Amino acid sequence: MAAQRYKRLTRERGPAEFSILAMTRSSLWLGDDHLLLVECTGYSETYKRFFFRDIQAFSIRQTKTRAAWNWVWGILLALSGLIIWAVSSGGEALGPIIAASIVLVIFGLPLLLNIALGPTCECEIRTAVQTERLPSLCRVRKTQKIMNLVRPLIIEAQGQLSGEEVSARLRETVYSPATATDWSGDIPPLIS
Amino acid sequence: MSTLVQCPKCRTTLTESIFNLSDLTPCPTCETPLQIEIFPAFFRKIAPGQKAETVMVEGESSCFYHAQKKAVRPCDGCGRFLCALCDCELNGQHFCPSCLDVGKSKGKIKNLDNHRTRYDGIALALAIFPILFFYITIITAPMALFVAIRYWNSPQSIVRPHRIRTIIAILIALAEIGGWTAFFVGISMRG
Repeated sequence: MAAQRYKRLTRERGPAEFSILAMTRSSLWLGDDHLLLVECTGYSETYKRFFFRDIQAFSIRQTKTRAAWNWVWGILLALSGLIIWAVSSGGEALGPIIAASIVLVIFGLPLLLNIALGPTCECEIRTAVQTERLPSLCRVRKTQKIMNLVRPLIIEAQGQLSGEEVSARLRETVYSPATATDWSGDIPPLIS
Repeated sequence: MSTLVQCPKCRTTLTESIFNLSDLTPCPTCETPLQIEIFPAFFRKIAPGQKAETVMVEGESSCFYHAQKKAVRPCDGCGRFLCALCDCELNGQHFCPSCLDVGKSKGKIKNLDNHRTRYDGIALALAIFPILFFYITIITAPMALFVAIRYWNSPQSIVRPHRIRTIIAILIALAEIGGWTAFFVGISMRG
């Protein structure tokens, strides 16, 4: 059997906001009939497959991580700038200019990069048996780009639903008497 | 799984007006920008599990594992007859529980192959990281070489099926061993 070829969709990224420190890093790959989530520790890899025919939903939630990092980099940049200004205010010297340039690169570049990459997000994929977070999809723009790539493949495997059809089917499913009975199963009976 | 879709942040049930839109839309409750895409599989009903029927007629084929139960199909792995209870469907193929188990442990069923050890990563780490504490490379370089050669034919990563890391590890380990050899030869020559 020929080995399945995968196309990389995202780079490796840690599961948390402080992903640089994370030991497990995950990435997303596109196979012939599924998405492959790879969780890598460096010495082992764990794979989770999401077949196009089984994917029920994708959800993207915009987060405030970008704003938080902007504050962090901005404050560090401002503090460093203040220190350099205080040092250099004594007289003309080449040292503070070099120091300012280094600080600008160290704190300014990540700040610019963070702004340029756009808003951050959390993405989840849902199947009949699980809802899995995709940590490597952490920017809205990138996630939407990947969804635009994957959507036709899912539609090819499952068919397409229009907005009205979704609404109608949701009303049928969620508010049907059968579902109402299921709901009541979770609630303890009232004892009068 | 619930048939309801909840906001990933506030966990309130979302109304249908928010689904399958082309851009982020605020959650009606917490106003977090959301984009939720629903596909037809969401509405697919899960088929109920089948019961194994009892053999009624003498001579009727029965399940290999349950002699009293009627066989419904052969296993695609070993060919044994299976009842509805023992029939495990996986991507259109039907297996008995033991074939599924063997297929998973030996990696014969590719869709069940969900874990691989990266021996190339181990060899590379053994070759590179000890350089920081130079003296221990005398032990770790042969170890890196051993791991790289011993596991040369072991399954590679599914997504990166190449041996570049292993080759780099071998080259670095050989360079370290060469360095130590030159060091000891130099000492013995001086002595």
